[in-house]
Formats: sequence, structure tokens, C-alpha cells
Amino acid sequence: MTHVVSIQGLSKRFGRIQALSKVSFDVPSHSIFGLLGPNGAGKTTLFSIIADFLKADTGIIEVLGIDTTNIRQLRGRLSILPQDARFQRNVPILEQLVFFRLLAGRTKQQAREEVLKSLELVGLQSFAKRRVGSLSHGMVKRLEIAQAFLGNPEVILLDEPTAGLDPAASRQIRDLVKQLQESATIIVSSHNLDEIQELCDHVAILNLGNLVLSGSVDEITLADREYNMTMSRPLQNNELQQISSIQGVRSIQMQSHAGAGHGKSSAEYLVKLNLSAENVSQDSVLAAILRGVLDMNVTPRKITEGRSLESQFLELTGGQNNNP
Amino acid sequence: MKLKTLTISHIRLISLYWSRFAVRSGSGLVYLLIALIFGLSMAHILIMPVEQLISRQKRDMGKTDPQVINQTIIDIGRPIIQFLFGQKTLEEIGQESMARQGGFGDKDGTSPNAAGGAKKDTALDPWSTFLLEKRPALLSAIFLLLLFGMPFAISFLGYNQVSGDIQSHGLRYLLLRTERSNIYFGRFLGTVIFSTVVMAIIVVTITFYLGMKTRIYPAGALTLWAFHGFLALSILMVPYIAICSLISASVDSPFLSLILAKVVIAGVLIMGLVGRLAWKPAKYVLYALPWGWQSNLLHFQPARCLLAAVGCFVYAGFILFLGYYHFERRDL
Repeated sequence: MTHVVSIQGLSKRFGRIQALSKVSFDVPSHSIFGLLGPNGAGKTTLFSIIADFLKADTGIIEVLGIDTTNIRQLRGRLSILPQDARFQRNVPILEQLVFFRLLAGRTKQQAREEVLKSLELVGLQSFAKRRVGSLSHGMVKRLEIAQAFLGNPEVILLDEPTAGLDPAASRQIRDLVKQLQESATIIVSSHNLDEIQELCDHVAILNLGNLVLSGSVDEITLADREYNMTMSRPLQNNELQQISSIQGVRSIQMQSHAGAGHGKSSAEYLVKLNLSAENVSQDSVLAAILRGVLDMNVTPRKITEGRSLESQFLELTGGQNNNP
Repeated sequence: MKLKTLTISHIRLISLYWSRFAVRSGSGLVYLLIALIFGLSMAHILIMPVEQLISRQKRDMGKTDPQVINQTIIDIGRPIIQFLFGQKTLEEIGQESMARQGGFGDKDGTSPNAAGGAKKDTALDPWSTFLLEKRPALLSAIFLLLLFGMPFAISFLGYNQVSGDIQSHGLRYLLLRTERSNIYFGRFLGTVIFSTVVMAIIVVTITFYLGMKTRIYPAGALTLWAFHGFLALSILMVPYIAICSLISASVDSPFLSLILAKVVIAGVLIMGLVGRLAWKPAKYVLYALPWGWQSNLLHFQPARCLLAAVGCFVYAGFILFLGYYHFERRDL
């Protein structure tokens, strides 16, 4: 597997704040790579350094084999949806995006066609002549995404692409990102962990400027052979002990009330199971657990394999928000 | 330095886009308004007495007397030149003006100096003679006032070349599409283009009005001197725009950039003018900006004129280089 982005020993300090500390990871080609971390973890700083908006104190970043200190060599091949960057409010959308394409050497006609196509992708073609100042927050977000997709770049950095979008628009953007995976490598940062788990095949988790985990989503979520089992009633302590005594069960934990408030007719209860990876077939252990549960007159309603990215994330970051 | 990364086509695109954007954005309109109000007001203040004199002569004598009119214009222009060239203080000029009380209000429509061979002021030096007698004097006086006043106005145009987009992170949409050098120099050039267009509008308006309304100067002489004045004003704006560019690249807040530009441009002038009263060499503070030599753009010796223009460009180049050096290295 070739690496499109390679980050080695990256550090950046803002005054007394260590925004990034010796961060290293690689992004495989044609992957959708998720960058996770609580607020203030350093995600936007990392994106900004990759795009050469900010200068790193130490470390090397290579994109498509090119050191980003020579960012001009990546012109047209790397694009970004920056967080909190604003368009010029009083200039029509079309004019601003056409200007970007003119800089890429397109003729006015070509630039216009490319821009309209890009705006169509995000459903903004009918707003092309509107000024940015007259667009809603969600529309501006879609415009920002459209500019990132302009010109078919090979690597696209999307800093919180669905923040502030309604569910339908978010779904549209996620579908678009998935389509683009065929032609580009995409790095996405998001606070929406379900979205990252759905969208990405690889992730890196940052916390307080440190890389705490990096790998494929499958590796991360299946690493501990964890199962979530939804029950019709809570298990009593003696019942929990009975199940934990089954060979191959490392731990069992009554987790939470999982049905109330979701419009379901009856309440459901979640049990987290952690199975041992050694010597025992997982299927036989699961079968034994199910038999045990049925003997207790409890109906198992759903079993999901693996930890959610969210649980992994919260465990690694301690559920922190690093904003002052 | 990454000056070798300059791309002419990008600079051209950015400068044209930026000068168009300047029209749409507040700063361009504010500058246009201030420059027009200032320029036309100065012209009005100087032309009005001449117009009154002409109409009075026509009413009283049925014709105009070019000699009297010209002398009146010299009377108007002389104190301006004496002040701007540092030959006299405002106080001295005020006292002389008091002594000539009633000069323009004489019922016979004559100037005190022209009529009856009233006492002449001290003889004019060659430069003043050139400006007042060998060139259309009214236009010379207007140009001198504009050369003095326009540097204050230009900061309204130049203060936000990059600071606003640094603050809003708007530059980030451009940074992967072109070089920082192209953005910096392109926007500087766009600002210069806009400023030059505004200068052209002011000079053409004043010259046209002067030519059509007063009809005291031959059209050829008026046009040539107007062109010279336009060049002088346009060239003078270049170093001041470069100063604004440096400040704009150094601070993230457009408002702070505007304040700093004002403080620097006015501060150097005040320090030089006030300082020299106490200690003569303090006048060299004026050379920290083109204040020290900018009047030479209207000098009677072409070589001095050319040298002043070169000085403006060299100064602008140096300041631009400093600004770019910082812009290339800073976080955006």
C-alpha cells in the first residue's frame, strides 16, 4: 500500500501551547482518512501545516512524495476545505470560483464550466450569481466544499466538512466524498464519530497535540473482540456472574438503558461483552452466552460486533474538550 | 526568498481582481470618496477666487485682463509654495495675508500687487518662478496641495491589502492555488492601479474644469502640465501604498492596520516639521518617508524630477521587500 501523505515528527508550538508534539502517521492512497480529536487537539493546526498555512517548528510532511515546504509543486494536486476561512462576502460565488480556476491556467470558458459543474455537485448551481453574503450557513459550507473539489485534486483535506449542515446535506456530502475516493485521497476531520466510522477506512486520533492512535477503522474497532448485546431486561448480578463464568468470556458489563427515548415500544438494555482471543472459538463462546441468556428468560434483541469508534475515542481522550 | 516563484500571469490576475474588488469593498469606495472630496475641494478653494475675479472683471469692464488674473493666481499660489517648500511658516503667511487685506475684494477687480505697482514680495526663487510663471500656476498650486494631502488619504485604500484576509483566513483559499509572493505583489499592484485611476479621475476633472471654466491657460500647456502632475501624484502614491502594504502584512486586524498607517504617515511629517523648529537636523526625519523629497516631483530641473521619481520607486521597492519578507514567513 503506497502512502500519499506521510507525516514524520511534526511539532508546532503557539507561545506556551504545544499544539502538536512529534506527530507521525501515514495516509494510504485512495483512502478516506479520518482525523479525530477533541476540540483543541491539533486537527486544524495539522491541516494548516499540511497546506503550508502554518509553518511547522519541526518535522517533515510529504504529500504525493513532495515536501510541503515546496508547496508550489503541489499546486492543483492538493486542495483544502479550511475551517473558519471566509469568502469575500460581496463578490458573486461564480466570480470567486472562476478566479481560482483562472489561476490554474484555465480559460474563462473552461473555468466557468468547471465551476458550474462543481456547484452542481453540491446543489448550488442556481445560486452561482449570488453574493456569498446572501447565502445561509449551510450553503456557504457547501460552497466551501465545492471549491475544495474544483479541478479534481489528488489529495483533499476536509476540515469538518459537515459541521453546520442539515442531515440531508450531510448525507449528500458523505456520498460525494465516497464517490471521490476513486479519484482522490481524502483526509477528513470531524467531531461526528458515527460519520467518521461510516465514511473512513483509516483514522488517527489526536489528543492534546499527541497522536494517540492510528490505523484502519477495522483494526481499531475490532481489536478487543468486543460485542454489544441488547437485551429485553437488565441482567442481575448473579446472572452476570453466571455468564462471565463461561469459558472465553473475559468480562461482562451491564452498560446502559438502550431503548428509552428512541421511540421504541419497550425498553432495551445493553450489555458489553469482552471475549478472550486465546484458544477458544468466538462463535462457540457467543453460542454459549446466548444459550445462557435464553435460559434466564431474557430475549437478546441485537448483537453488534466490535467497539464503536466513539467508545475507543472517549477512552483514549478521556472525553476531554481541550479548549480553554 | 522565493521571489523567483513570482508568476506574471498570476500577478496580473490577482491585481486586476483586487482592483475590481477594491471598488466593491468599502475601502475602495471610501478612498474614492475621500480622494475626490479632498482633491476637488482643494481645487475649488484655489479656483473660486479666480472665477470670482473673472466674473467681476467681465461685469465691470466687459472683458478680462489676463495680466491681473495671472497676478492674482500668483498671489494665491505663492504662500502655498512658500509653506510647502518650508520657506515660510503658517504664521508668517498669515501676517502677510492680513497686511494685504481686501486684496481680492477690491471693487475694481484688481489685485493689490498688480494694481498700481503695489509692493512685491521678495523675489521668487527659480523653482517657484517655474511653478507660478512658467507653468499654469493654478494647476501647480493644486498639485502641490494634492502632493501634500493625498498621502493621508491613500491609507484608506492601502490598509487592507492582506490584513483583512489574514484575519478572516480568506487567503487560505488562495494559498494552494498561487504563491504568497504573487498574492502580496499582485494586491500591491492592484492597489496601485486603483490609486492611479483615482488620480486620473481627479486630475482630468480639475484640468477639464479649469480649462473650460477659466480659459486662462492655453490648452496644450494645461494638458502637458496636467499630465506631469498626474504622473507625479501617481508615482508618489507608490511608496505610501508600499508602507500600507508592509503594515497590512504585519498585523491581522484591518482596523489596527489603518490606524498604524495613519500614525506612521502623519507621525513622520509631524516629527519632521515640529522637530526642526527645535533642532534643525530633525528635518531629516522627513526622509524616513517620501515627505523629504516628494515636492521634487514638480521640480523645474528634469533631473531632480527624475531623481525624485526614482527615489519613490527605490523606497517603495525596499519597503515592499520588507513586507514580503515578513509575509512569506508568517502564519496565515
